[in-house]
Amino acid sequence: MGRYIVARLIQSIPVLILVSVISFGIMKLVPGDPATLIGGPSATPAELDVIRQNLGLDQPFHVQMWKFYAGLAQGDLGTSLLLGKPVLEATIERIPVSLSIALYSMVLTLLIGLACGVVAALNRNGWADQGAMIFALIGVSLPNFWLGLMLIILFSVHLGWLPTGGYVPWQESFYGWLRTSTMPAVSLALLQIGLLARITRSTMLEVLRQDYIRTARAKGLPEFVVIGKHAFKNVMIPVITVIGIIFSVLLSGSLVIESVFSVPGVGSLLGSAVLRRDYPMIQGGLLLVAWSLLLLNILVDVLYAYFDPRVRYDHGR
Amino acid sequence: MRLTHYNIVLGTVSALALAAGPVAAQQFSCGKTGGNFVFAQEAKVNSLDQHTSSTISTRNVAMNMFESLMTRDENMSPIPELAQEVVEAPDGMMYTFKLRQGVKFHNGKPMTSDDVVASFDRYKKVGILKGMLDPVEKWEAPDAQTFVIKMKQAQPTFLENLSSFSVPIVIVPRENTDAAAMQLKTVGTGPWEFVEFIADSHVRVKRYAGYTPDRRMLTTNGFGGYKVACFDTVTFRIVTEPGARVAGLETGEFHGVEDLPAKAQSRLKDNKNIVLKPLSNFWVQIATPNLSFPPTDNLKVRQAIQAALDMEEIMEAATDGAYRLNIGFQYPGQAFYTEAGKETYNQKNKDKAKKLLAEGGYKGEKLILLTNQDYTNMYTAALVMSEQLKAVGMNVELMVMDWPASVQKQQNTTDGWNFFFTGYGTNTSLGGAEPLRFHSHPFNTYKPKGNVPDAELMTHWNALVDSKSLDDRKAAFARMQARVLDQVLALPFGSLTKVQAVRANVEDFKPFRIPRVSNVWFKG
Repeated sequence: MGRYIVARLIQSIPVLILVSVISFGIMKLVPGDPATLIGGPSATPAELDVIRQNLGLDQPFHVQMWKFYAGLAQGDLGTSLLLGKPVLEATIERIPVSLSIALYSMVLTLLIGLACGVVAALNRNGWADQGAMIFALIGVSLPNFWLGLMLIILFSVHLGWLPTGGYVPWQESFYGWLRTSTMPAVSLALLQIGLLARITRSTMLEVLRQDYIRTARAKGLPEFVVIGKHAFKNVMIPVITVIGIIFSVLLSGSLVIESVFSVPGVGSLLGSAVLRRDYPMIQGGLLLVAWSLLLLNILVDVLYAYFDPRVRYDHGR
Repeated sequence: MRLTHYNIVLGTVSALALAAGPVAAQQFSCGKTGGNFVFAQEAKVNSLDQHTSSTISTRNVAMNMFESLMTRDENMSPIPELAQEVVEAPDGMMYTFKLRQGVKFHNGKPMTSDDVVASFDRYKKVGILKGMLDPVEKWEAPDAQTFVIKMKQAQPTFLENLSSFSVPIVIVPRENTDAAAMQLKTVGTGPWEFVEFIADSHVRVKRYAGYTPDRRMLTTNGFGGYKVACFDTVTFRIVTEPGARVAGLETGEFHGVEDLPAKAQSRLKDNKNIVLKPLSNFWVQIATPNLSFPPTDNLKVRQAIQAALDMEEIMEAATDGAYRLNIGFQYPGQAFYTEAGKETYNQKNKDKAKKLLAEGGYKGEKLILLTNQDYTNMYTAALVMSEQLKAVGMNVELMVMDWPASVQKQQNTTDGWNFFFTGYGTNTSLGGAEPLRFHSHPFNTYKPKGNVPDAELMTHWNALVDSKSLDDRKAAFARMQARVLDQVLALPFGSLTKVQAVRANVEDFKPFRIPRVSNVWFKG
């Protein structure tokens, strides 16, 4: 297993290089530059030229590219043009924000999504199935920015229970974190709950038709053991793949939700970097996100082996 | 000429009017001190380096912390700020600034003319408007309280430029002036000192205990005046989603917001907990043509377009009703306001348009309107304009990009577009020659063929910037505006009103081009 993980890590290096080349190239091809954002609508062309000079954007493409890779080789992802701070620092300070909300959202997704899927499968075509699937359908259908605004109107404006936005780090105040993170986490989770519930239901129905389930029931095992031990563990194989994808989506943040709730997370950082053509921030930020997603994929592969003893990566022995 | 005396008198008069009407002429004092004022602003703050950012979002925050030698008053006239007095040599070749006594930076160090020299040096290197210093031969500090600027050539509008709030030469301590662009430490002389900046979240400032207010005036006056920090702290929250700004204002989470959406205004105007603060004439909504690309290379076609437009309909849709019809590039009440070219504005004459199109030989060539959706009012203005032009038989297409891409296309290419949609905000409010600068060489925003400017236009421009007398400059402005409108080198649609709003317990908040958090306090 250890050798497998090391091999996967080495394999990830060309992927990261490819990501950096593509992001560098694409951003240079996209028209517009950060100077227009810094200058605003009233900036004269001469003012924009000064801004470009200040940001080093007047240098030729190959010089900019050479500087980027020379810095990268030394572990320097560059300095954000707009924030004026190192890309690594700017991204790392946002990761705990997105990570904590992603984890909160993931917990909600797992608890509600798995429960809905299992309950729906066990009561196929019954009222619980219909109810759970309608809930799942609503989840995947509602645009999350709209849901976010509705949550603000209900819980902030009318009930006054939660703040309209902002973010309090959990280290500063757990209660404050819970208050500021709940609406963003719920808005993000609802779509994923819908997806997970539908996948769990269909996988569970498939598993329940398998011979080993019939055998377990024929042996007289209690239903909760049949479901909890034999069925659920097999349901988890495809579900883990989906969970991996869902978590990667949550982890890379959501520009929309972070904008609605004024959360300073990775999504908002990268989203505004793209909109404002902050090239080093986009390149460095994408590299870090790509790297974390590769790690997540490796983790998912390791989890396969845990849930399915047939999956082994140490073929060399 | 002793500008100082002249301007202080003006400043005092307006300060009096603002502070207490005709009854009391006493300096502002906070009704109550303390509290954390939370102001929600719409745009993200890139940087607090006021030398190298011209965005409104930077200015909103930074101009509460930084000050400059001269600034603008409530009516956008130049007034001294950190300067005690300004003396211009009779030949216009030298300006001597005496600094105000006792001013200290937020780090506790007294401000001297050496810091002013260093601040000007940095601005000359990285400042966005460093071009304003081109006519300057050198600056020096003969003593700790005196700063002298020597000119290469006299420029009648030099003090106007120097007092511009667009990208002002704010005075910072010498030890911070080596900072690269966008990386200046936020240490100024203003009533508020920096606490923290969490990008995309908030900027927090606190009252600067060592602040030396400008006692020549009674209260705030434009960007300057007598400023008092009544709150303990102020938090500028970045809330880009308009719905969230409105919700926060309603719950009381925010005490003030900028740019209240028009739809929310009608609902909130009856809310007794909220006071709307409309700021009219925030910018001129405008489209500029491309004279190098058909069919807008044809004057008759441009005049036909001008004749067809119904500005009320365009502005109503673009701003949800928050607008004023406005001829040209200045607002009523500004020194250079003129109705020259009035006959070209808001004609809504379809018959005339069709006739001009026929005279111009228009054969249904495509007219491309280059706009963006980052500024929805620009997009909507383009959309309505396209429908109005289709109604007179033109073949119109919208080219929608994001803001940076549309600016780049406008600046770098003369192919594939005919009108570019934008807004003139800062330049228009600065007055003087500024609103027409875009139409002068080398900017030539109307994209003449070969970038060769309209000769008559440039004659007026040169008179506008070089004439010694104010009246001559005003006359030149009127002639230039008339020429721009007559030749359809721009289509000004009208002026946009921006609405700020505060909770009812916020006292003495006056809408302005930045949210001024000095001389504002919590009642009760």
